[in-house]
Amino acid sequence: MFKKLLTTAMAAAFTVAGQANAAEDPVKIGFSISKTGIFAQGAASQMTVYELWRDQIKARGGLDVGGKKRPIKLVWYDDESNPSKVAPIYEKLITDDKVDLLLAPWGTPMHLSVAPVAEKYKFPIVGNTAASVALRQVSPGYIWFPTSMFPDSIASEMAKMLKQQGIKSAAVIANVLPFAQENQKFLIPALEKAGIAVKINEKYPPNISDMTPLLTKVKQANVDAVIVLSYPADSFLYMKQSKEIGISAGFQFLLVGPSIPVFRKAFGDFANGIVTMGHWSPLQKKWWPRAKEFTEAYSKKFNMPPDYLDSALAYMSLEILEQAVAKAGLDKEKLRQVIATDTFETINGPVKFTGVENKLLPTGFLQIQKGDLQIVWPEGMATSKFMKR
Amino acid sequence: MDAFLSGQLLFSALVIGSVYALIGLGLNLVYGTMRLLNIAHGDLMMLGAYTSFWLLSLVGLSPILSLLIAALGASAIGAAAYFGLFRRQIEISGPVEKLEANSLLLFFGLSVVVQNLAALAFTASPRAVPYLDQVFRVGEISMTANRLLTLGVALALCAATVIFLRANIYGLAIKALIQNRDAAKIVGVKVERVQLLSFMLGFGLAGLAGVLLSMTEQISPFMGFPFTIAAFVVIITGGLGNLTGGIIAGFLLGFIEIYGVVLTSQNARSIILYGVFVAILLLRPQGLLGGRRVVR
Repeated sequence: MFKKLLTTAMAAAFTVAGQANAAEDPVKIGFSISKTGIFAQGAASQMTVYELWRDQIKARGGLDVGGKKRPIKLVWYDDESNPSKVAPIYEKLITDDKVDLLLAPWGTPMHLSVAPVAEKYKFPIVGNTAASVALRQVSPGYIWFPTSMFPDSIASEMAKMLKQQGIKSAAVIANVLPFAQENQKFLIPALEKAGIAVKINEKYPPNISDMTPLLTKVKQANVDAVIVLSYPADSFLYMKQSKEIGISAGFQFLLVGPSIPVFRKAFGDFANGIVTMGHWSPLQKKWWPRAKEFTEAYSKKFNMPPDYLDSALAYMSLEILEQAVAKAGLDKEKLRQVIATDTFETINGPVKFTGVENKLLPTGFLQIQKGDLQIVWPEGMATSKFMKR
Repeated sequence: MDAFLSGQLLFSALVIGSVYALIGLGLNLVYGTMRLLNIAHGDLMMLGAYTSFWLLSLVGLSPILSLLIAALGASAIGAAAYFGLFRRQIEISGPVEKLEANSLLLFFGLSVVVQNLAALAFTASPRAVPYLDQVFRVGEISMTANRLLTLGVALALCAATVIFLRANIYGLAIKALIQNRDAAKIVGVKVERVQLLSFMLGFGLAGLAGVLLSMTEQISPFMGFPFTIAAFVVIITGGLGNLTGGIIAGFLLGFIEIYGVVLTSQNARSIILYGVFVAILLLRPQGLLGGRRVVR
C-alpha cells in the first residue's frame, strides 16, 4: 500500500516538474540593493523602477530574448548600504544563483565595487545611479554609465549658466561626503575662472542638525547665488532654515534632494525657484511617448511621480538592457558587444557609449517651477527658461 | 565678527539649549532617583515624534494636541517598563554599581527592540511634519513659529518641573530619594510610588520632547540615538542627578555649539562640544553643580 502511494506521489511530482519545464524557465535577473542603512531612502527610487519594469515585462508577455519571449524573475539581496558587501553579493548571484542578467546596485561606491566583478566574470552590467569622475577610471569593457552628471562638467556648465544670468558673487557650502566634495573641488576654480567672486566657501558634516551659524554668514555675505552641495537630509534642513533666516538670493542650488517627489510636497510653493542637477524631465516632449508612458505608469503604480534623476537613470539602464537582449540573446560576449556599440532609444533620448560614458547626453540643470521640475539648462533641451527665485 | 553679534544666533542657541535641557531633565529624573541609565531615552523621543507625525497625517491632529497624547503614551510606557522590567531589578541588584550596569544593558536591549520595531512598522524612510512653519520677524531676528514654540514649551516644562520638585509633596519626595535613598525610606517616603512617578515623568518628558522635535527635525526610527548621547553629555556635565545643573548645562552646551561653530567652522562642532565636555570633566569630575549631593 505504502509503496503504491509513494509511486503515485513520485509520478505526480515528475509530471508537475515536467510541466514547469515546458512552460519555460524564467530568465533570472540579479542585483543587490540598499534596502536598509543610510542609502535606503535614495535606493528606494531605483527599486520601485525595477519592480515597475518587472510588471511591464509580464504585461508584455515576457522578455524578448533574441526574438523569443520568456518570463523573468528578479533575484536580489540587501547590501545594507555597505559597499564592501556588494562585490560578494554579485559573485554569489553569478556563481551560486547562476543568474542570466545583472542589474546595477544604487550609488557611486556600489558601482565602483561591482565593476571588478563584472570584469572578472566577463558579465556585462549597465550601470545607472552613479556619478563621479572616478567612473572614468573604471576600465571599459563590462560596465557602462548612462549619466552625464560628472562633477567636472557640472562645474563648468554651472559657471556658464551663472555667467549668462549676470551673477557676480556666490556662496558655496558643501557636505563633506565624497560626491559633494568632488563637486566643490571642481566648482570653486570654475567659478573663479568665470569671474564670479566666491565670498563663502565652507564645508559641513553630514549629520548637521542646525545650519543657522553657516546661513547667517551666507546671508551677511549678500551674494547673488547660493550653491549648497547637499545630500537629501541637509537639503531639507537648508530649506527650513533658509526660510527662517530669509536668504533671498535669486539663484539657489541644492545638489541632491529636490528631484525626490517628497521634497516638492514638503515645501510646496516655497520650493519654487530651487535649482538642482538633472538631465531628464517628463515635460520634455521630444522624448515622448517613452518618457510620458514611463511617468504615467510609475505614478499609477506608486501613487507619486518618479524621482527625475535616479528613477529615470534606473529605467534607462533597463531600456538599454532590454533592447540589447532582444538583439543578442543571453550570450554574455554578444551582449557586451551590442551594449558597447549600438545606439539605444530611452526615455532620455538616444544613448550610445564611448568607453564607459554616454556622451550623447549633456549635463543639465532642473528648476522647480510651479511645483514641477523643468529643464532650464542647457538650452538645447530646456523645457523652460530659468526664473529668479 | 558681525555674525557673532547677530540676534539670530542667540535665538538658535536658546532653542538648541532648551531642547538639550529638556531631554537632559527627563534622563536625570530616572537616573537620579533610581540610578538607572536609560540609554533608550532618545528612542522614546522617536516614538513621540512618530505620534505627532501619524496623528497629523492620518487624522489631521495638531502637534500641539499631540504633546499631551505623546506625554501620556510615553508615561504609560514608562509605567509598563517600571513594573515589567525595573522594579524587580532595583530590588535584587544590590550595590548601586551593579544596578547601573544591569540597567544599562536592559535599556540597551529595550532601545534596540524599540528602534527595530519602529523600522518594521514605519519603514526607515525619513518623514517630516510641515507644521507651524510661518516666519515671524522681530527686529533683525526671524523666528519660525515651530522653533519659537519649542523654546517656549521646553522652558515652561523645565520651570514647571523645578517648581514641582520644590513645592509639591511628591516632588519633594523625588528630591529626597535623589539625595539619600535610605534616609528617605526612614522618614516615610513611599519609595515604590515615587519611583513609578519618576519613571512616568522622565519618559513623559522624552515623549514631549519628541513631539517638539518632530516639527523641526526629520523623523526616522534611528533619530533618537544622537539625542541620547546629547542627554548623557548634558547630565554628566551638569552633575549626575542634579536637575538644576542639568538644565544649566543644556543651555551652556547649546551656546557653545552655536557660537563655537561661528568662531571656527561647522566641521569643528563635535571637536568643540566634546572638547569642552572633556575639559569640564577633567576640572570638575563631579560635573558643574555635582558633588554637594550625598551619594548613598
